[in-house]
Amino acid sequence: MNEATKRNLLKALWIVFVYIILTMFAFIYLSPFIRSFVASFMTWEQASKYPPEWIPHPFTIENYLKLFRLELFPRWIMNSALYAGLIVAGNIIFSSMAGYAFARLEFPGRDALFSALLALLMIPIFVTLVPNYIIIYKLGLIDNIIGLALLSLANVSSIFLMRQYFLSLPQEVFDAARLDGCGPIKAFFYIALPLAKPALGAVAVYQFLGAWNAFLGPLVFLRSPENFTLPVGLSFAFQRSMWTEYTPIIAGSLVAAAPTIILFIGLNKYLIRGIVIQAGKG
Amino acid sequence: MSKSRVFSLHTSLSLRKILERRKSREALEALLLISVATGLNIVFGYFAAFFAFYLSFFKWDYISPMEFVGLRNYQIIFNDLWKGINGAYYFLAPFYTGLKNILLYTAIVVPTQTILAMILAAFANQKIRGVQFYKVSYFLPAVTSPVIIALIFIWLFMKNGFINYMIQMIVPSFAPDWINDRNYLLYAISMVAIWGTSGHFMVSFLAAMQSISRDVYEAAMLDGAGPIRRFIYITVPLLKPMIVYVVVLGMIGALQMFDLAWVMAGSNGGPGGAGYTMALDIYNEAFINLRPGVAAAKSMFLFVLIFTSTYIFQKKYKVMRQ
Repeated sequence: MNEATKRNLLKALWIVFVYIILTMFAFIYLSPFIRSFVASFMTWEQASKYPPEWIPHPFTIENYLKLFRLELFPRWIMNSALYAGLIVAGNIIFSSMAGYAFARLEFPGRDALFSALLALLMIPIFVTLVPNYIIIYKLGLIDNIIGLALLSLANVSSIFLMRQYFLSLPQEVFDAARLDGCGPIKAFFYIALPLAKPALGAVAVYQFLGAWNAFLGPLVFLRSPENFTLPVGLSFAFQRSMWTEYTPIIAGSLVAAAPTIILFIGLNKYLIRGIVIQAGKG
Repeated sequence: MSKSRVFSLHTSLSLRKILERRKSREALEALLLISVATGLNIVFGYFAAFFAFYLSFFKWDYISPMEFVGLRNYQIIFNDLWKGINGAYYFLAPFYTGLKNILLYTAIVVPTQTILAMILAAFANQKIRGVQFYKVSYFLPAVTSPVIIALIFIWLFMKNGFINYMIQMIVPSFAPDWINDRNYLLYAISMVAIWGTSGHFMVSFLAAMQSISRDVYEAAMLDGAGPIRRFIYITVPLLKPMIVYVVVLGMIGALQMFDLAWVMAGSNGGPGGAGYTMALDIYNEAFINLRPGVAAAKSMFLFVLIFTSTYIFQKKYKVMRQ
């Protein structure tokens, strides 16, 4: 065996090894999803069998029917959607405005104010939780999705992302607008905003994921079961043992996870790149 | 001549005036643009944080007037810690239990997820087909709600569940009742956390790896270094800033872990308080025991813990901020 074929053989072996490792990990990361997807079409009797079975027999959608027979479940979906919608809308509007001003306009105290906002990222949510509960309580907005949304309508991370994006645009674009006599606010709506679509998309997706998956905020600020969002509602259903079987919880979990999974699979290239940009700010 | 000079002086004056007016208008409009975002963050961020600090010196139950008690709330914390150190039952020293658990949890989760993320990234960084599929699979748990993940894993961790089935293929006699056994609960939560976040950090490492120049590797290849040696001696040292970033973010997340413990252990921490965390304790103090002053003091403790540990770590492994 000569040197070249030996090296090629080694290389082929290495690639096979890499695939084996990658696939093994893919199994570890995907199997809980696959396992619960399959089990959501089983009876609890079958889903709890040992050793585990993989083919639903009898195939049943009873678990999903049970979920929707619970009047609260559709409400939880609506509440989650409303909460996520408010957060996305608020962050798109307010963070883009603030991000633009911090990136492109001159005003006294700009940089100090921006640093002060960034410093907020260091404060754990548990520090501000009790005071914010009191503020929202005083506003009479406890047990109200709007009160809960008020807390994160303009997240510092979105302001930061928008500012970085506006900084990356060439100054000439804005100069030209100013020479035409465009005021800063007019320039924002007619020039900056249309150019910012990619960044707005990123803010929308991250805020959607954050709001849809949020737990602590909804748990503290929402009180009655009909106002819960999906994560709080499902953990409530689990702790109150609303069903004697566990399969409806699994089905409900999948319904709750479906929007984020679909969104992620659809936008995976874009999202993974976005994480990279965020990581770069470290 | 003098006439034209006066004229030019005049125009420059009025130009300056126009510019000044423009500037103040710009400042005004800028303030208008930032007003909502800044206002919300000042109220719900700064005011809330200072109010929490203020509250930590008061005894209160949300209803009756606040009573100044000086450092009493902090004394409650240190008494709790002292009792815990002297071996009191977990429910007599809840803060100590939460602190002890969360430190162990952080010590397990942060190094494991960092190393795992780095290894996954190294494998996903190979020039082979289908890499995107693997990246998506590893990242999928990171976009799923921790509550949903916890609910699914409670089922997978059952005594006769899927995880024990997989484990028994390797270790035949090992089948703990993860969720209901105080010796295993925290490890179960840690495994779920590692599973849930390592994919996210893998992507960070992957980006850092892709920015390492090919030349460095080619030089090493000429010296006869294999892929594993190249990873240990070239990739890892060059990744140092990213490692520090991932560890710091991991620590911030792990020290205030709440969602997984709430669902998998319950708000009282499960059997023997094995899944009790500081975050759960702050929640219980504020909303179950109705002692917001004590909760505020505990949250200050958490803040100092997170701040100093990440600060010391960053200092020790000095990184240049880009």
